[in-house]
Amino acid sequence: MTTVTVYDPPMCCSTGVCGADVDQQVITFAADLDWLQSQGVTVRRINLSQEPAEFTINEQVNALIQASGSDGLPAILVDGEMVSRARFPSREELAAWSSLAFEDQDSAASASPCCSSNTKSSCC
Amino acid sequence: MTEMFDNLPKFVFFTGKGGVGKTSLACATSVNLADAGQKVLLVSTDPASNVGQVFDTRIGNHIKPIPDVAGLEALEIDPEAAAEEYRERILGPVRERLPEEAVASIQEQLSGACTTEIAAFDKFTAMLTDEALIGRYDHIVFDTAPTGHTIRLLKLPGAWTGFLETGGDASCLGPLAGLEQQRERYAAAVDSLSDEYLTRLILVARPRTSSMAEAARTHRELADIGIRNQHLAINGMMPAEGSDDALAASMIERERTAVEEVDSDLAGLPQSHFYLRPENLVGLDALRRMNQPVETMRSGTPRRALDNLPPLSRLVDDIEADGKGLVMTMGKGGVGKTTIAVAAAVELAARGHEVLLTTTDPAAHLTETLAGDVDNLTVSRIDPEVETQTYRDHIMATRGASLDAEGRKMLEEDLRSPCTEEIAVFQAFSRTIREAGHKFVIMDTAPTGHTLLLLDATGSYHRDIMRHAGETSANMVTPMMRLQDPKQTKVLIVTLPETTPVLEAARLQDDLKRAEITPYAWVVNASLAATETSHPLLVARAATEASEITRVETTLSSRYAVVPMLAEDPIGAAKLRALVGHQEELV
Repeated sequence: MTTVTVYDPPMCCSTGVCGADVDQQVITFAADLDWLQSQGVTVRRINLSQEPAEFTINEQVNALIQASGSDGLPAILVDGEMVSRARFPSREELAAWSSLAFEDQDSAASASPCCSSNTKSSCC
Repeated sequence: MTEMFDNLPKFVFFTGKGGVGKTSLACATSVNLADAGQKVLLVSTDPASNVGQVFDTRIGNHIKPIPDVAGLEALEIDPEAAAEEYRERILGPVRERLPEEAVASIQEQLSGACTTEIAAFDKFTAMLTDEALIGRYDHIVFDTAPTGHTIRLLKLPGAWTGFLETGGDASCLGPLAGLEQQRERYAAAVDSLSDEYLTRLILVARPRTSSMAEAARTHRELADIGIRNQHLAINGMMPAEGSDDALAASMIERERTAVEEVDSDLAGLPQSHFYLRPENLVGLDALRRMNQPVETMRSGTPRRALDNLPPLSRLVDDIEADGKGLVMTMGKGGVGKTTIAVAAAVELAARGHEVLLTTTDPAAHLTETLAGDVDNLTVSRIDPEVETQTYRDHIMATRGASLDAEGRKMLEEDLRSPCTEEIAVFQAFSRTIREAGHKFVIMDTAPTGHTLLLLDATGSYHRDIMRHAGETSANMVTPMMRLQDPKQTKVLIVTLPETTPVLEAARLQDDLKRAEITPYAWVVNASLAATETSHPLLVARAATEASEITRVETTLSSRYAVVPMLAEDPIGAAKLRALVGHQEELV
């Protein structure tokens, strides 16, 4: 079965409270990953502010953040290959990468690029 | 009157806002117990611990015996240093291998109150669960206690079970990720705290309505999570004699009301009262006198310790010079931020400027009479509780919708963190900031530097502008830039003329400087030295303010003002203007 690894930008509280509004993309993406897991895909999320070492160990991710800093995040790896960066992909894309059938009925995904990691950062 | 010392269990925690006298009472209690033949360890977890100063000895982070008190040893834990250690554990290995911007961002994420709180709790638990250490003492006295928020978080299994992988992201307890192996120790510590035969929690309050209300909140929060062995210590009461002095008489009356109208939940707790002392509690003699009545002091000719203290009116002159702009008062709870904001607003309006005052004054007792009373002044009120609840509901409805029950519990607890209220209120205020371009906008709150750095949604954009300075950046202004520009925004730090409040205010200032905001001025509120009192005890107290006021003047701020302790609440425009130092016209 497929493994999807998400390298998240620095987020500290689960609230994502610090923007003027909660970033809907973050919420949708979390729901999409839940769905992916329910389909038997192994999902792992790694956060820059808690496990920074992971970001230096993986060569592709390390090259990405050396080049564009945390603006290059989130990075999505499927079975070790980077398939997307700097944006939250849609449920449709996640399904395709994991070779899953996908019916477009309850997806509320949007795939607009994410402008700045700070919009999702939060406070503690 | 001092039941506080009766049947004390092994662990004694003192809790209360800065400046209520936690450390003094913790030290006095420890000396009392040791004098009675007990083996006592006193643990301070205040980053600005002055336990060493109280005993006139250097302590530090190793257990040291206190000279001249048989059976008493002490230890100072610095939570800031513990938080720094924690940050270094995470960042040290990768500092060289990550881009500077990413390191700075992680550093800020881990620089909030939560990280410090957890780091301090980590140290607490080491003491509460170290059998060998506990066995050596009859009592271990802590001059502070963990917050309800922290303990509740620790009790949630979600905090420990890789919440990250269940579709949420990390919580305020991010710091716990590195402490997984401590889980059992934490659970044991929380059990000890909730065991009434092991732990007594002493709520310390000043005899003032706001301070007592704060104690009642803490009481309920901790009782709700099972810490029920509580005791109320009211510290710094005016003795009831010699009240021919107007200020003293009104203080005695105000205190009587505050103590008599105590919250019904608090009324059931055992109470101890400690009287206001002429001297600061430093040195063994003072500590041993702590629970003895103050000797009636003979009225002599009062010597004024301080003269020519700058009034608030002089500060208002400076603020007025720019003709418009945003003024924010900032400080810990209970220092009088609202009073100072309202007074400055009324004074500016009275001088003919258009002023918008936005306040969190919940009772509105300072502001409700003003709307029709003062020309040029508009008042808008924000209820922090309503704003915070609206905000939490919104997050739960959006963010929480996709989470499982455990995830929702975590999210709910995260939303009870101190920064949530700060953000919700600041967002509500932000709607009015724009008006500061053409009039005065005065607010009785300001976000901390840490929050601003994380809030600054345009942070990286802001840095981009800086990098390409010169490229028409003049017309691109981010909210952060507005706050950093002293021409547009003036932050007034409000404090009291006492050691701990001044230290806490200095920390707020350092935090703002991290966000490249330099406070415009300091306001020292409720100063006895600035009054005309001749009551001997109050004159003696006024003399103790000298060192703190001097510290503000010489090292902490280039501009400052001192506002007198008032005989009564400044209701109405005339009294507010008198507070500023404006002579009331005799009609």
